[in-house]
Amino acid sequence: MWETLIIQPMVNLLLWIYDALGHGPQMFGLAIILFTIVIKLITWPLNASQVKGAQAMQELQNDKEWQDIQKKYAKDREKLAQEQMRIYKDRGINPFASCLPTLVQFPIIIGLYQAIIRAMAATPLDMLNLARTIYPFQNVENIIPLNSAFLWMNLGRPEGIPLPFDVAFLPNGFPLLAIVVALTTYIQTKLTMPATPPNPTDQAASQTAAMTSSMAVYMPLMLGWFALTFASGISVYFITSNLLGIVQYAATGRANWNNLIPGRKKSTPAKK
Amino acid sequence: MNRKKLLAFLVLMLAALALSACTGQLLTNNWPGLAADAELAYLSSGSFVYAVDVTTGDEVWKYPTEANAAYVFYATPVLTEDGQLLVGSAGTTHALLSLNPATGKENWSEPFLEAKGLWVAAPLVWNETIYAPNTDGFLYILNLNGKQTADPIELGGSLWATPATDGELLYVTSLDHHLHIINPASAQAGEPVDLGGASPGSPVVGEGGVYVGSFASNIEFISTTGGMEILATASNWIWGTPVLDGDSLYYADLSGNIYSLNLASGQQNWNELKPDGPIVASPLVAGDQIYVGAEDGVFIALDRDGKIVWEKELGGKIYTTPVLSGELILVAPYQAEFTLAAYDAEGKQVWTFTPEE
Repeated sequence: MWETLIIQPMVNLLLWIYDALGHGPQMFGLAIILFTIVIKLITWPLNASQVKGAQAMQELQNDKEWQDIQKKYAKDREKLAQEQMRIYKDRGINPFASCLPTLVQFPIIIGLYQAIIRAMAATPLDMLNLARTIYPFQNVENIIPLNSAFLWMNLGRPEGIPLPFDVAFLPNGFPLLAIVVALTTYIQTKLTMPATPPNPTDQAASQTAAMTSSMAVYMPLMLGWFALTFASGISVYFITSNLLGIVQYAATGRANWNNLIPGRKKSTPAKK
Repeated sequence: MNRKKLLAFLVLMLAALALSACTGQLLTNNWPGLAADAELAYLSSGSFVYAVDVTTGDEVWKYPTEANAAYVFYATPVLTEDGQLLVGSAGTTHALLSLNPATGKENWSEPFLEAKGLWVAAPLVWNETIYAPNTDGFLYILNLNGKQTADPIELGGSLWATPATDGELLYVTSLDHHLHIINPASAQAGEPVDLGGASPGSPVVGEGGVYVGSFASNIEFISTTGGMEILATASNWIWGTPVLDGDSLYYADLSGNIYSLNLASGQQNWNELKPDGPIVASPLVAGDQIYVGAEDGVFIALDRDGKIVWEKELGGKIYTTPVLSGELILVAPYQAEFTLAAYDAEGKQVWTFTPEE
């Protein structure tokens, strides 16, 4: 089911784009970028719903009534929860609106990742799996295997710019793409962090802020490590996806650019 | 680390696992390579190369003694006339090794490590020279001591098939859709011949040229001067190397069809033969029978008229071309209960081999 509903359509779409672009050198990199854009457009409403939900939750942290119930029922968790649910209901806020779209997108991200790896088919077994994935109506024998050259990279291998000397822990050379992946992931995560620190009496908000803060550290490191280790085609996807995410969030007018500068005093971004 | 931070960390680690588990990126998985002489079978499978006694099915040696990320084996091993066993690795060091077939000890002072890609194809050894095609698109030229004797020839694409020679020229297929014809004296490649699709199988030498199958689903004849003629069209991609036996050319496709093309008449020797499952491996012609393994794990013996003589369910998937050792037919299924099995011509299983954990 996973194969039929996620992987197969994605691989075929990727191959179709690659073929439509002319299937020469550079085209697989462009196909990944276009493919990511298509997927981002399809999931745009989900992302927008996530941003909206997160904004509503952020605004609630500064709401007087919300702050009052935090203080009033600080020692009665059950009552506090009841009051919080009442406020959510009164204001039409879904507390899960910000995380449900993420959960829905997660399989798409994994599928996309697998589709790119499948399409690149580095070994005979991978090629055989690719052959099985292609829809019968797709005429792809003239484009298989995909030309994995893109800019200075081979999209089927980890990226690295050759150095004039050997560095033991950088066998592929200077990992420019991994750094860009980590940087864009950091920027995207930081921009979406709340503009104002949560009320210290609001325990739930404080814990959420702590979680977001730790994500801002782990996420760039994790994706940077992926970029360092895995085929560079994945890095192209990560960077494109991150940049589109940044653009989408910036378009809401809520991007908190001050968060990008460590130590700088946080301020609320201008509302549109 | 408080609970929420720990939760975030765990979620990310799970994501990392989910992504890395399904990538296949480590390039370690593939079906085994198989070669044999009259006494030993040589199986390249995962972290090891095994030598198996063909009389008993017992392991004689394995290389290396301990699994090592530097070595991942699935290229078919090659025996040379001067008593070496050559095998390439798809591990992190991209090593091409020479082993002593009797002991499994390394022959060369050091492996050949200059290639940038994986070793999928077995090298061709001819005129005391090793011609080794690599997935980096280069054909490496070495002497029998593992030293380069000429600059590698850049052919392009990924080279997955053993070159063939007619005694004068070298023929190398590539995934770049071309057949490359090389004059070994000058180490120069001529104008490549467009096959219309990638060719993961080797060319087979015939009179005045070579026969090649490809993902264009065609069997093509390429003359020594590069002239091309389509002889037959299959119903799907042709993966394995065709086998020439007298006037008949045997080959199979990914739809599971087995063909026997009469080269004299240009007609198929039988109408339709499609036992079961996609066929990647080349057929083996031995005696009066043709042996074919299919992806569904069925191993069959045919007579020359295309009639199934016997059929064995091995389990797993058969992608590796069977080989002959004395009177025995050896077959190496992938992901089966055993890694290697020996059958006689009547289809009786003589032994199976499963490596010790």
